[in-house]
Amino acid sequence: MNQWNNFSKGFFKENAVFTLLLGMCPTLGVTSSAIDGLGMGLATTFVLVMSNLVVALIKNFIPDKVRIPSFIVVIATFVTIVEMTMQAYVPALFDSLGLFIPLIVVNCLVLGRAEAFASKNNLGSSVIDGLGMGLGFSMALTMLGSIRELLGSGKLFGTIIYPEDYGMLVFVLAPGAFIALGYLIAFINQVKKEA
Amino acid sequence: MAKTESTLKNMVLTLLVITCVAGASLGFMYELTKGPIAAAKAAKQQAAIKEVVPGFTNNPGDEMYELTSKEGLALKLFPAKKDGELIGVAIETQTNKGFSGNVKVMVGLKPDGTIINYQVLEHKETPGLGTKMADWFKTDKGNQSILGKHPKKNNLTVSKDGGEVDAITAATISSRAFLDAIRVAFDTYTENQSSQPAVTNTSTEEGGAE
Amino acid sequence: MNRLTVSPSPHVHSGDSVKKNMYGVIIALVPALAASLYYFGLGAAIVTITAVVSCVFFEWAIQKYLLKNDSTIMDGSAALTGLLLAFNMPSNLPIWIIIIGSLVAIGIGKMSFGGLGNNPFNPALVGRVFLLISFPVQMTLWPKPIVSQAHYLDAETGATPLSVMKEGLANGETVSTMMSKIPSYTELFFGNSGGSAGEIAAAALLIGLIFMLIRKIITWHIPVAIIGSIAVFTGILHLVNPEVYAGPLFHLLTGGVMLGAIFMATDYVSSPMANKGMIIYGIGIGVITVVIRVFGAYPEGVSFAILIMNGFVPLIDKYVKPKRFGEVVKTAKA
Repeated sequence: MNQWNNFSKGFFKENAVFTLLLGMCPTLGVTSSAIDGLGMGLATTFVLVMSNLVVALIKNFIPDKVRIPSFIVVIATFVTIVEMTMQAYVPALFDSLGLFIPLIVVNCLVLGRAEAFASKNNLGSSVIDGLGMGLGFSMALTMLGSIRELLGSGKLFGTIIYPEDYGMLVFVLAPGAFIALGYLIAFINQVKKEA
Repeated sequence: MAKTESTLKNMVLTLLVITCVAGASLGFMYELTKGPIAAAKAAKQQAAIKEVVPGFTNNPGDEMYELTSKEGLALKLFPAKKDGELIGVAIETQTNKGFSGNVKVMVGLKPDGTIINYQVLEHKETPGLGTKMADWFKTDKGNQSILGKHPKKNNLTVSKDGGEVDAITAATISSRAFLDAIRVAFDTYTENQSSQPAVTNTSTEEGGAE
Repeated sequence: MNRLTVSPSPHVHSGDSVKKNMYGVIIALVPALAASLYYFGLGAAIVTITAVVSCVFFEWAIQKYLLKNDSTIMDGSAALTGLLLAFNMPSNLPIWIIIIGSLVAIGIGKMSFGGLGNNPFNPALVGRVFLLISFPVQMTLWPKPIVSQAHYLDAETGATPLSVMKEGLANGETVSTMMSKIPSYTELFFGNSGGSAGEIAAAALLIGLIFMLIRKIITWHIPVAIIGSIAVFTGILHLVNPEVYAGPLFHLLTGGVMLGAIFMATDYVSSPMANKGMIIYGIGIGVITVVIRVFGAYPEGVSFAILIMNGFVPLIDKYVKPKRFGEVVKTAKA
């Protein structure tokens, strides 16, 4: 497979959020600000790349019947590593993402890529696939986070664009996540149709 | 390379190896990040204390002691001293009367109980309403601010309840909860003042050695 | 009527049309509009005009530039949405919030689902709830009636009877002491209390109900089911402990019960088709309203209740089908 296509498919054609609708839990849960979305996306990208790498390495040693538990252990290990590292070096981000970091383990996207891609492809393609998918996921989360932060609290990446009193609170809350995601997906679909 | 077959021996062995490697690498990472995590937590606590009781020279985290309020809530007290003399105490207080769940506040009191400053540590209040408490009671506008006030001399309840503090617009419950947390801190601190060694050797007249 | 256009033959036309019914509802709202103009004066006029004009504008703009289909602004449905939205807002609401509310009501509540006839939720309520969650401070500052006639943004504000009650009960006061702090039932009936523009005068809304029943624009099932279930539920609670739970009359005359039961819940598109289904739907709204008011965090729950039951309408329609036109009654009982 062409490695560029392999990488770029994660951004648009097979974007985890906009096309596959995978990983909805963090997508809706942590995107109340752009920086949270970006942080979550990058943490997931790290886990995706590393778990794809390890799964591609050990895929031939794992008996078929225990492959899912094995993948989950690998993923959980990397998630815990990310969790501890973030707690140590970016405590503020760790606090605002909270419970959603350990929940990366159950992000369908990570297990999905391990099962559907890394266990069938070679090391290089798997790493590139993980990177593309992860960065595509980060992009989607940052976009959603930016929209919600801008509409909800009048800021973008923490910079004040307009006074917070004019912000629509609903976008900071859970219903706003659904509304914003719905319109974002509709918009992307429209662009795809025209492209 | 041939795929390993799904025999019982193979499956047990693979899972064993994977979990062992995972466990070992996690243990290694834990050792590696243990120091920085503790340092980050201490720094956060130190920063909060510095905000509510500025100007101390000791390490309040080392002299921390715990008290239990009448309501049975656990409070952490950090005596802040400048050159050995007590200039205030930072109290990590909480209340369960919030709009949704607990509200945790760090409040700095002078030895006589006057409020120096506060910082909201943890809460689950409604964004845009209850969340305003982080700045609301510091803002010098109308009767919003509680800084420099004394819970004994000033009636620190919201004006709807007959007090002299303006509640956050449309978030009376959160305002009540916040003021309740401050009251818990003050009451517990003053009640235990006489029995606490950390406070006895201060310039305040209220205390007194045992 | 919308349901006739989707049903199978026979296609005998009764002279009903979307347009006729929509304007009928608007006429029925005139007494309430008059009441709100009387009590809130200038503010009510500004809010109503802004909401109606912006709703019609957004409907026209979205249909022309996004959906690119035939314009339906002349059928009166957008104007009705704007009118109902205005009746749900405090009469001192800043204009930019009203415009956002209209955009949400028409854009998200109606056009996203494909326009008139396809919206599962009442568009005006979608707009109102969106504003209530987004701008809780502005949306819960109600101007006092009469005194605010000549004022707009600087009108004197006060709490609604419902939030006075809720606040008092939370502080451990009893219903009887709280009742002395709110307007009397007669005043509530004729509208002299704080509240959103159109929900204050029960009398004016009831005139609208009678008009719509006579003109057969709506049937009695939904309003009666809602008002009845609220009366029964709060009556039981009141009998259990009259000091903690306010009586049925208080609940019926305050807040948006009348407006919701008569004009909001009866929206053709988002309510069930069969009479039995309408009653189930109405009881659901009544019960949820009381649960939110008495046990929930918000003092008012009518709009949430109607939106929640809107979501159940497809399910209700699936199990309670309307009798087909011309169907022979099989048993003597039915």
